Amino acid sequence: MPKEKDELEKNFLSIFITSFTTIFIAELGDKTQLATLMLSAESGRPLIVFIGSSFALLCSSIAGVLIGKWLSSMISKERLSFFTGLLMTMISIWIGYTIYTIYY
Amino acid sequence: MIINLLISSFITIFIAELGDKTQIATLTLSGNSKRPWAVFLGSASALILATLLGVLAGGSISTFIPEIYLKLIASITFLIIGSRLIYDSFNLDENKTT
Repeated sequence: MPKEKDELEKNFLSIFITSFTTIFIAELGDKTQLATLMLSAESGRPLIVFIGSSFALLCSSIAGVLIGKWLSSMISKERLSFFTGLLMTMISIWIGYTIYTIYY
Repeated sequence: MIINLLISSFITIFIAELGDKTQIATLTLSGNSKRPWAVFLGSASALILATLLGVLAGGSISTFIPEIYLKLIASITFLIIGSRLIYDSFNLDENKTT
């Protein structure tokens, strides 16, 4: 039993870290962060903007988690990982394309 | 005034974020793991930290690290996760048939 518990906790931590790093990297320099920046500079009340946008991001990530869970109950695991994998690869290519258009 | 600002930041960010790559990544991670709470906590804390940086820095993080590197890292991360998921999906198929 303790071994099983250890494994579960390790899983939790590794999933947490994976999500954290992926989302953090994706979010840095993203349009959302630029919007937060603009709002806070414009209003001169960074704390209020921080609270408002944090709450919005919480809501959107809850929505993301729930949609993901719902999809995983609707379609088979292989198919879900294939399509989400394809989606992630497409996003990657799209980011690569924006790098190309901005800098070359 | 404060309420207006609160609501307008909420609506701006919420709409900007819907269907964004961040949300798709959250969706992907939660759909493919058995621990949606870990995904939620991880992505929520990452988003809050990124927002805090955005508000505090007064200039975006891209003043310290050029945007091209940030985008490149994001692109590579998405590519790694995406290809691993596609690879997994074929592996799961094989396990099922054998």
